[in-house]
Amino acid sequence: MRVESIPTAVSRQGQLYQEAADSYGAALGRLARGYEADPDRRRDLVQEIHLALWQSLAGFDGRCSLRTWVYRVAHNVAASHVIREHRTNSRTLVGLEVLETLPTGNDGDRVADQRHALEKLLKLIHQLNPLDRQVILSFLEDLDAASIGEITGISPGNVATKIHRIKNVLARKFHEGGNHGK
Amino acid sequence: MESEAGDNAKNLWKNQQVEPIQISLAELRKRAQKLEKRIHRRNLREYVAGAIVIACFGYYIFRFPDPMIRFGCVLVIASSLFVLYQLRKRGAARAVPAEMAFRDCLDFHRKELERQRDLLRSVWTWYILPLVPGVLVFMLGDFQWQMTLPNAAVHAGHVKILFGLRVAIVVVIFIGVGKLNQWAARRLQRRIDALNSVEKEF
Repeated sequence: MRVESIPTAVSRQGQLYQEAADSYGAALGRLARGYEADPDRRRDLVQEIHLALWQSLAGFDGRCSLRTWVYRVAHNVAASHVIREHRTNSRTLVGLEVLETLPTGNDGDRVADQRHALEKLLKLIHQLNPLDRQVILSFLEDLDAASIGEITGISPGNVATKIHRIKNVLARKFHEGGNHGK
Repeated sequence: MESEAGDNAKNLWKNQQVEPIQISLAELRKRAQKLEKRIHRRNLREYVAGAIVIACFGYYIFRFPDPMIRFGCVLVIASSLFVLYQLRKRGAARAVPAEMAFRDCLDFHRKELERQRDLLRSVWTWYILPLVPGVLVFMLGDFQWQMTLPNAAVHAGHVKILFGLRVAIVVVIFIGVGKLNQWAARRLQRRIDALNSVEKEF
């Protein structure tokens, strides 16, 4: 068993946090945007994520990658935030399978500019329940199915089904929008 | 078409402008310490309450000569230590490991809430019941001792009323504590129900 002195462990925790913040700081900002629409509350959420991440890194044992660890912590904090909010405003959240069956509404409108397209994407994400939101946000961050499974705790088969649904929903909602994001 | 829409959405998502938030390590440490202090203060309150009860009844052992009162004090101290041990062993809240996968995290959180709820529901057996014999023996001993004092016959009625009042107050306190814990258990049950309803939406 490797025994670390306290200052070494503390500086390792600091180094790991710095590495995580440098590598995934922007991704954490985007992730928070997927969970909280209000800018002030989003800032609080990002700070809460950073605090939880820093505290958790004291126990980082390298059994999973730093990236998986960072996303797990961030999604757990953000999902707790959504559940807390859900208790107070009882807004109905839906799963991807429900979103897939909903009528497309004004989706026929051309999504001309990127800002409009992003707003539309965020609106779609904010309707989702925490688990499906984790999957879609991880998918958008370009994580592979195995990593998404590690983060969410759902089976690879289930992840694959959900990704298929995500692509289907995105195609239905954005195909008319032409070349946004390109 | 699906794949193209997915790639487009990924590009759109990753190229968005996000406000960078920088938090220094010193700031993080400060916040963590603040949280730890809050938890430490909460734990301390429980132990201080226990220590006060033990100190008071410890003092009574020396203060009162009557063996029955002393025995009652010993019983109260022993049951207080038992309750404190139970609080430490079963009552301590376990923090959800932040790095757990989300599904496991929810399960852990729900089990933790259920454990706390069951602890509050069973407060009659592990908190109130152990304290009853000691308090009863102490009060009976005190009553008996007062009845043996000089001029006891003159004040017998007064002593009996006082004894009855003390018993009534203790019963009200014990029932109040029990009811308060049942109420807290119902609040936890509502949180568990809310968590279950959110989970159903998954």
